[in-house]
Amino acid sequence: MRKNIKTKALSAVLTAAMSVSMLTACGGAATPANTDAGTDTQTEAPAQTTDAQTDTATEVAADPVEVTGYQEAPMLAEQVSSGKLPAVADRLPGTSDVFVETLDATGKPIEIGNYGGVINLTGAGGGWGLSRPTLESIIRYNTDGSYYPNVIKSFEHNDDFTEWVFHLREGMKWSDGEDFNADDITFWYYMCHLTNYDGKKSWAALKETVDGEDAWAKLTKNDDYTVTWTFVNPKYPADFIENGDFKWCWAPEHYLHDLIPDTEEIPYVENEYYESTGLSEEDVLANAQKKNIDAATVKDLGKAVSYNFWNTSGLPTLNSFVLSTVPGNSSKDDTLCIMDRNPYFWKVDAMGNQLPYVDALHFNTTSEDGQDLLMFRSGEIDIITIAMQDIAATLADLGDQASLREWGTTDWGAYQITFNYTNTDKNYAELFANKDFREAMSICVDRSQVSELLTDGFLEPGQAAPAEGNVGYSEEWSKKWTEYDVDKAKSLLEGCGLVMGSDGFYDFADGSDLMITFLAYDGGADDSYPVFEQYYKAVGINCALKDLEVSAFDTQIDNNDWIAVMGPHTPIGGASLKDRAAPFVPIAQAAEWYGEYGTYYSTNGAQGVEPTGDMVKLVELYDKWRLTPDEAERDKYQEEIFKIHEENLWSIGYLKAENSYELISNKIKNYADNLVWADCYQYANMAHYEVMFKAE
Amino acid sequence: MGEAIKNFFKKDLVQYIVKRVLMFIPTLILISILVFFVIQLPPGDYVSAHIAALATEGELVDADYAASMRADYGLDLPVWQQYLKWVKDIIWTPTDSAYYRLYHSHHNWKYSFAYGRDVWSVVNDRLGLTIGVTAIIMLFQYLVSIPIAVYASTHQYSVGDYISAIIGFLGTAIPNFILAIVLMYISYKWTGNANVGLFTQEMLQNGIHLYNFGDFLKRMIIPIIVIGTSGTCGIIRSVRAQMLDEVAQQYTLTARAKGVSEGKIIMKYCFRAAINPTVSGLGGVLSSLFSGSTVTALVLNMQIQGPVLYKALQSQDMYLAGAIVMIQAVLVVIGVLFSDIALAFLDPRIRYSGGGR
Repeated sequence: MRKNIKTKALSAVLTAAMSVSMLTACGGAATPANTDAGTDTQTEAPAQTTDAQTDTATEVAADPVEVTGYQEAPMLAEQVSSGKLPAVADRLPGTSDVFVETLDATGKPIEIGNYGGVINLTGAGGGWGLSRPTLESIIRYNTDGSYYPNVIKSFEHNDDFTEWVFHLREGMKWSDGEDFNADDITFWYYMCHLTNYDGKKSWAALKETVDGEDAWAKLTKNDDYTVTWTFVNPKYPADFIENGDFKWCWAPEHYLHDLIPDTEEIPYVENEYYESTGLSEEDVLANAQKKNIDAATVKDLGKAVSYNFWNTSGLPTLNSFVLSTVPGNSSKDDTLCIMDRNPYFWKVDAMGNQLPYVDALHFNTTSEDGQDLLMFRSGEIDIITIAMQDIAATLADLGDQASLREWGTTDWGAYQITFNYTNTDKNYAELFANKDFREAMSICVDRSQVSELLTDGFLEPGQAAPAEGNVGYSEEWSKKWTEYDVDKAKSLLEGCGLVMGSDGFYDFADGSDLMITFLAYDGGADDSYPVFEQYYKAVGINCALKDLEVSAFDTQIDNNDWIAVMGPHTPIGGASLKDRAAPFVPIAQAAEWYGEYGTYYSTNGAQGVEPTGDMVKLVELYDKWRLTPDEAERDKYQEEIFKIHEENLWSIGYLKAENSYELISNKIKNYADNLVWADCYQYANMAHYEVMFKAE
Repeated sequence: MGEAIKNFFKKDLVQYIVKRVLMFIPTLILISILVFFVIQLPPGDYVSAHIAALATEGELVDADYAASMRADYGLDLPVWQQYLKWVKDIIWTPTDSAYYRLYHSHHNWKYSFAYGRDVWSVVNDRLGLTIGVTAIIMLFQYLVSIPIAVYASTHQYSVGDYISAIIGFLGTAIPNFILAIVLMYISYKWTGNANVGLFTQEMLQNGIHLYNFGDFLKRMIIPIIVIGTSGTCGIIRSVRAQMLDEVAQQYTLTARAKGVSEGKIIMKYCFRAAINPTVSGLGGVLSSLFSGSTVTALVLNMQIQGPVLYKALQSQDMYLAGAIVMIQAVLVVIGVLFSDIALAFLDPRIRYSGGGR
């Protein structure tokens, strides 16, 4: 979350929309979906539609797309004829279960493409780099916030939300050709997840509180293609299917069965489907080595095979592209990392052509940012993220060889600062708690000049508030405390009890110096600090910048040893609470703006600082939001949470957030424009790489 | 320096070498302590750096998991215990250890957290290429600079001398990374390709073969010019200065007076003496062969060892960084020994004990 991506537009429908968008069936095989809130939410999949349902009682019947036969890429046809691969019809689910992809995430029809070629991308970077363009998750979102079942064929829940049923696609296969079925889900849940082999047993989606204790869902295999998750308490969509963490619930049982330990650290969890493997840490590491998976500890291994699984070469996945097994191209750290098409991929276009269209994705790792752009210019890279300032010059040089794609952002403003409201020094804690102080720090800055100085006028003056088009946007909020007024700022500061000292800077009432030291990391505030410093000092606030290396920065934040932050840090706000609630409410050890208050909630009061005032209200509203089945009521709670943010402005933003931009080679087709760059949509995943193709 | 070495070599060469090798032990112990502790100096450790990196991707890790990661990696132990274990495992990992059973090696350099692999395999990945590339560049340096230096010294204050001086000074004065960027830009403007990196995509997939070796050499042009010119100037200046000294020496005058040919005087007498400092500079060669030129490699996106070390230090991937720095240190120590021995062979005044002016 500590990213610096900014933004404006989200399509306006988002507000109404995070309701389940209904998908209907193909081939007339399925019954129309019934979406009465509270009753079964039957979502039969294959054909995709983006009719965002604002009225949950409506039945949706998109034009069913009929696919009669399948075609495949020439490179796969060759392998079929040489006997290396089964025929295409045997590799895909049947026509009633196959996923027919007809629309992009903005709801526009996709163009039928041609096979072949390679899409060249920039390096894969961190743990998630390879997953963004390739990961297939439980559900998939459209830009308007509506979503549809993706890997699973459909899902439904009972009236009181205690049972959720997932239907799988019959005939769907792992990338190595083995059947994908309910066993892979029970295996993932009982052997990888509940054992904490994947290190993510903390996922809220599958967890609940029973008699004051943490408890986990019971998973039952009904038949080969149906599983049921059973909870004691109601589990509402926001906390389950829509939860941003819950992206997959499967692992290839046939491949991983001998990589699961039963040790003190990763103990076997009693279940009716699998017995303990009885394997020691060393056995498991040796078995992994036989599969060319190198790991120092079982925990690392577990994370590599059941969490960031796309990074593990040789491991079967359900994704559109799978990591190459050729040494030298099979690791995300390789200079050229290759992801090849999954020959068993379970999606087709409207004509029955098996996706993806391109043969491979090539990830080209460079050591410096500028090199990517040079390679893009010389045609060695097809898609590149580009800074706003570089767009005009690059497009002017490349003419009609490239075009721009704009991604809306869900960030709340750019150039945010925030204060440590849980500072151990009472003077600071009291000062920061005073809204007048925050207002003074906000209005003492001339935003239009900041815009010119830092962004050449690209970003408009603004506040830490939802961008236009996003949930919660209000013009009033985005302009709150933005009027440049030094005199007012001074009188506000004096109203806070600060006293002008002989050095020309304000002191606390007890005579001690007020010194705002802004913490930043990796030079993130080197450009902006000097600009802001002059305004703060002009109004009488003495300040300094302390730039640290990122882990040192984190250590200081964790130790509650800081006063204020500037430059990239965990931002306040985002798309909506459903995306991830932690940026909105103090419930985790995550964001600077609530510091130790979050620790208090996440440790049930064992550590941290007990929240007071409006911070408590946030937590109370969050709990209500979480435990409410009614969509409209939840929207109301979210609205109240936003209202509290508008009143308090715990983080101050000086400019409007920036959209993300990608330049793409004009050879690339089916790359939609106006997508949304957000964690809940898994960033680039929304561009649907499986349908992109390269024009000849 | 020459005097000291001369004294050393008055004793038996073998005895000298044995003594030098024995001196390795305390030197390396000292270096290993320094390396380990300096790498640990920045606040935080790999786990905190790793968690910070995860956070940038939106992944939150709870404190318990972080603590158990630290315990797994042994990062929760006091630093001196970590150090002892590190050294012990590198020197000898017994046959009955889990590491030996997995990797069949008695030297456990531990694990690179960032790469998720055995440290040695990470180092090994780029070893061949680093040595190859650096060797080509060094060869270029010596082959170009020494003839120029000899020419410049024998034609002092001539046009050629001035030109070589100007080019040489420019090469030294312009930081490598700027020269690299400028050359990449020129290459892009002229050919439409910036020649980023040592390999084309095709080579990265299929490897280097005879048919694409020409392309590989093309990609070597910029690195050779950038890294080559900077080193070249240093060599030219020092050899030239030494040569000028030697040319003015009495033995040169004597030789000339006796009618020895000018070529022979220069090559057989002056040059052999003048090359001394350059040869003693070879001590660092082994180590740089191993790591390559880090900053330039970053700018040119060269897949050699330097950037790996750089990244390891950034992410506090301490065993990887420790291994690379340690190996470099060992190579410097060995390199210095070799260059001393080479000097002895080169300079008869050093070789024959009891010799001298």
